Amino acid sequence: MAYTTVDATALKDIKEKIHTGVLPQWVFSNQQIYELELEKIYARTWNFIGHESEIRNPGDFVTRWIVHDPVLLLRDQDGQIRAYLNSCTHRGAQLCVADCGNKKTFTCPYHGWTFNQRGELIGIIAGNKVYGEELDRSQWALRRIPRVETYQGMIFASLNPDVEPLDEFLGGMKWYFDIMLGRTTNGLEVRGVPHRWLIRTNWKISADNFGGDPYHVAMSHRSTVELGISPQDPMYASYGYQIVLENGHGINICTTKDGTTSRPYQGLPEELWPEFEKNLTAEQRDILYRAVVFVGNCFPNLSFVSPMHGTGGPDEPLTSFVNFRTWRPLAPDLIEVCSWCMVDKDASEEFKEASYRSYVGSFGPGGTLEQDDGEIWTRVEDASKGFMVQSKDVHYNNVLNYLMGMGRVEPIEQWRAPGTAYPTCWLDAISRSFYEHWVDQLLSE
Amino acid sequence: MTIRDEIVNFLHDEAFLLDERRFDEWLEMLDDSVVYRMPMRVTKEKEGGDDIVDEMTYLEETKQSLITRVNRLKTTSAWAEDPPSRTRHFITNVRIEREEPEEVHVTSYFHMLRSRGSTTEVEQVFGKRSDVVKKRDGNWRLVRRTIYPDQAILGMRNISNFF
Repeated sequence: MAYTTVDATALKDIKEKIHTGVLPQWVFSNQQIYELELEKIYARTWNFIGHESEIRNPGDFVTRWIVHDPVLLLRDQDGQIRAYLNSCTHRGAQLCVADCGNKKTFTCPYHGWTFNQRGELIGIIAGNKVYGEELDRSQWALRRIPRVETYQGMIFASLNPDVEPLDEFLGGMKWYFDIMLGRTTNGLEVRGVPHRWLIRTNWKISADNFGGDPYHVAMSHRSTVELGISPQDPMYASYGYQIVLENGHGINICTTKDGTTSRPYQGLPEELWPEFEKNLTAEQRDILYRAVVFVGNCFPNLSFVSPMHGTGGPDEPLTSFVNFRTWRPLAPDLIEVCSWCMVDKDASEEFKEASYRSYVGSFGPGGTLEQDDGEIWTRVEDASKGFMVQSKDVHYNNVLNYLMGMGRVEPIEQWRAPGTAYPTCWLDAISRSFYEHWVDQLLSE
Repeated sequence: MTIRDEIVNFLHDEAFLLDERRFDEWLEMLDDSVVYRMPMRVTKEKEGGDDIVDEMTYLEETKQSLITRVNRLKTTSAWAEDPPSRTRHFITNVRIEREEPEEVHVTSYFHMLRSRGSTTEVEQVFGKRSDVVKKRDGNWRLVRRTIYPDQAILGMRNISNFF
């Protein structure tokens, strides 16, 4: 029979299944699960809403969404980062509909209420005549997003005033973020604006794909092997480490088979190497020195990939980039991808240009790798809506397989960095941890 | 035939070859020095200035990278185009901006409709193209194309096609 109601019993049932390495397929399409996710995960946790470099100057703003909550993110005249609900306090109209810009004040087009960068209500048409002096304007300021904190230039916001500090939420992920985001003193900057596009899929499919699934590379992205851009060794994406972190986060550090590299520090320009010495620990430097790809997911829906790639064919040198993206869940079967291309601010213009081209050609919406991911995630979603995937009594095909490495691959005992590390990227340890954390959130009061 | 007629034919031939998936022949219409770009569109207030973001693109291509993309479509594992998309490129509103015997600057409107799989869903991209076409050894060749999409959020799972 189908689950007609997703209650605690059903969720506990899912949790039990996850503990045995399987996941009911219907969680990718169920409306009640989706609504629970919005309430128990997205409305409570930290959500990535932008990078400091996108609002570099006083007055710069961008508009973003935390699922269905519109956010106006800006830098005020004092250089403070501020985030408000992008909705007029008078009658609720979306206050600013531009994606980005620079403004001192925001005037609602409905009745003309005007707010400054500090969110204060500074103008009401015919104010004193119609409301009298007794209207306390401070009561009608823009509604602040309850919590806004940053880490290494990454701006996170939470609708939950009681959310744990961002530091605590990111936990061990900070150590790995430092390698990508904190290796140079002046940090990273966003190039242009983020790509935005829609994919008919469930947000967990894409988050899990980036978070814990280097296994898909061999088949999904085989075209790059056929072209001679990626290595011929069928196991090439398995070499390296999968690291399970707290709170459902996870990262894969892919290396070459023997762990050596001909492109130290992912081919980052040599003039930046002394910076790594200054900003990273010996352990972090060792990882950056040998890494071919960083790929992972920060729970719930902030994924990242930092590979080396090229667009011109087998003879072209590969260039690295840093790409962060969010999977905004618009419906159980629809996401909006928002994808930022980032590069070290202090890199040469020449490197920045090559890095940007490498991103657009591989992981932009037209990228040779991204194209096939979007196609296949759609195929998962399209096949996850029927009755048979809902039936808990159909034994063999109503759950999906997350068994890889379970009870077979032991953690590395000597791992001198946060998290539980495994000596291969081809296992489902991060995926199982992601879904365990996910179901615990759904079960929480 | 006037130069305008020749250019209109050129643009229609290109669209035909793309929709027939005769990509190698399409590549031949592109000069080796071609600069082929698709910048981003954002939503801005009128006072906010230009709504094209040139620093970020959907496509930032050279002849070599376009050849790589076409070669990719010939592999056995380019899933985004296997099964192949059915596309129609509608090219209209052709406007010659500058005309010389060997070089023409031309803008056109495009509307690409895409059908994938056995669903009734229609995917689409539309906007303006700004091209430079030059005569090489007696044949018109595309030297520069800038594709300006009208949407700030693409309603498609990917861009696996050319414009």
